[in-house]
Amino acid sequence: MVTAGLALAGAAILVAGTVTIMVAIQRRPYQAEIAPTKGSPGQGVLYAFTLGMAPWAKESARRHWVAYLRGIVFHIIIFVGGLFLIASPWLTEFPSLLRVSLAALFALGAALTFAGFGMRLSDPALRRLSTPDDYFALALVTLFLASGAASAAQIEFLPAFWAISGITMAYVPFGKLRHFLYFFYERAFLGLVFGSRGVLKWKHE
Amino acid sequence: MNSPTKTKQNKLIIAKEMLGNLVDRRVLTALEVCVRCGICTESCHYYQSNPKIEHTPYYRAELVRRLYRRFFDPVGRVFPQWFGAGETTEDLLSKLAETAFSSCTLCQRCTLACPFGVETAEIMRITRSVATATGNAPDILVELANAAIAKEENAELFRDIYLDQIKDLEKEVQDILGSSKARIPVGEKGARMLYVPLAGAHTIVPQAVLFNIAQESWTLGMFEASNYAVFLADGVKAKHIAERITKEAEQVKAKEIIIAECGHAYTTMRWDVPKWRGSPLPFKVRSIIEVLDEYVREGRLHLDSAQNSQPTTYHDSCNLGRKGGIFEEPRRVIRAAASDYREMTPNRLHSYCCGGGSGLVAVEEWADIRLQAGKLKAEQIRQTGAKIVVTSCDNCRHQIKELSERHDLGIEVTSVSELAVKSLA
Repeated sequence: MVTAGLALAGAAILVAGTVTIMVAIQRRPYQAEIAPTKGSPGQGVLYAFTLGMAPWAKESARRHWVAYLRGIVFHIIIFVGGLFLIASPWLTEFPSLLRVSLAALFALGAALTFAGFGMRLSDPALRRLSTPDDYFALALVTLFLASGAASAAQIEFLPAFWAISGITMAYVPFGKLRHFLYFFYERAFLGLVFGSRGVLKWKHE
Repeated sequence: MNSPTKTKQNKLIIAKEMLGNLVDRRVLTALEVCVRCGICTESCHYYQSNPKIEHTPYYRAELVRRLYRRFFDPVGRVFPQWFGAGETTEDLLSKLAETAFSSCTLCQRCTLACPFGVETAEIMRITRSVATATGNAPDILVELANAAIAKEENAELFRDIYLDQIKDLEKEVQDILGSSKARIPVGEKGARMLYVPLAGAHTIVPQAVLFNIAQESWTLGMFEASNYAVFLADGVKAKHIAERITKEAEQVKAKEIIIAECGHAYTTMRWDVPKWRGSPLPFKVRSIIEVLDEYVREGRLHLDSAQNSQPTTYHDSCNLGRKGGIFEEPRRVIRAAASDYREMTPNRLHSYCCGGGSGLVAVEEWADIRLQAGKLKAEQIRQTGAKIVVTSCDNCRHQIKELSERHDLGIEVTSVSELAVKSLA
């Protein structure tokens, strides 16, 4: 009961923090392109959220394919983890095959997230620029997914999962985990600006 | 008189205030979204030419990010170390200024490499603003921007000299065309196009030849297109300098402003000036490249590619290409003007900066930095086997010429307009 309360409190902080961040973003000035467009802003945004993120569209993704793939996979797993958290009060009603599958998926996610420590520590440049916030965020997400895996496998771990989820969600607005929200803004700005200018489009001649 | 300590404190106060005011939605997002994954590392020509952490896009942005968090983030203000932020000192401001001006050409290649699309160039742009406001910008850029403003304020003083110079250039045009009727009109009311050149006959004579052949209704601008205040990210001065041109266009009642082959001048007039004014310009803005492309496609200009048989390649200016969407127009003209056209790899959207952009070519003491950063471009050129490198930006032209000397490329660097004149059928 206490841990469920922790999760709910964390969720409330996450929602309040997210709204506060969105208000703060909206309060900042924004200069849209005013000049007659050379391309399509709408097409630019669509491209930015789809093909513009495809690994084959990015030389950087081809060069860092392990890191890129890791990033995509563990973010998808975190999203599934969020859905699992919402549905977790009804965990007993989950079919056992689904629980086993989720446990395996979250375990993979936890491993991929944990690998982030190795990637940060083994690269001298990343090690030099990494902050306590980076490591704390990695630890929280690793624990979130690991406890999700444990609770999907063994229901006795559910209170621990809720507690960790609560702490993780509560931290989101205060540290790097808030990038999840800014991501949507950044891709949208990219699409709007470069789409208007005819830079981002489905196909160049 | 202010004591040195007070001056330092004032600079820090100005830096904080400016940073707070300049961070708009795009910059705030760019500051907040980076997770320091390092995927952008090799996208930067500085890093490719000299691999060290200071040359990574995320390092540059991180310097500003930490300062911003120390000043404005609720957690960062109380626990700056949590975000890796150190003391804010005048030395830090100097380091930021040097980074923004000499270690980043705002080419935006890293933005496209980033999984999130972090606009590091936007972060560097506001850093340049802060540096300019705190007196940390390169003196030469400040002097050039001030000179442009002074030129407008004293336009009558140099007008006659300018007209005399143009008369001499007009004779050159007449000689090239073999016609005494060829003209370089200046300030002619009712002309459809106001062509805005750069300082230099190479941005006037070839274009005048082509306008005359195409029988264009045009007039030459009194002021040059370049805007050094843009490099300083000094919005007030940049707007002032740009207004010299828009005022002139209004005076002659031009329908279009045509910008010489200059990357930043085009981007400024085409995309930035309307934002600064808060409304679209009452005339169309195009690059001379777009006009030449139109002439070729409409048959107003007949080019003979057999006139230029040497291997030829094109360097995409970051401002015209990645920031302006002008990729195919120059290529169509070059293909019509040269029989052996070769692409650099990568090109267009993913083209590497030559290293000379955003004012670097004007700062003599950074010549070594920019020439080293251009090493990758030199290698790209060499791999094409081209003997002629065409570029539609004067900064790129200057940089590539110097790269050719340093790396013994043995190439000729030219503009699209000059190439077109050489291939006139």
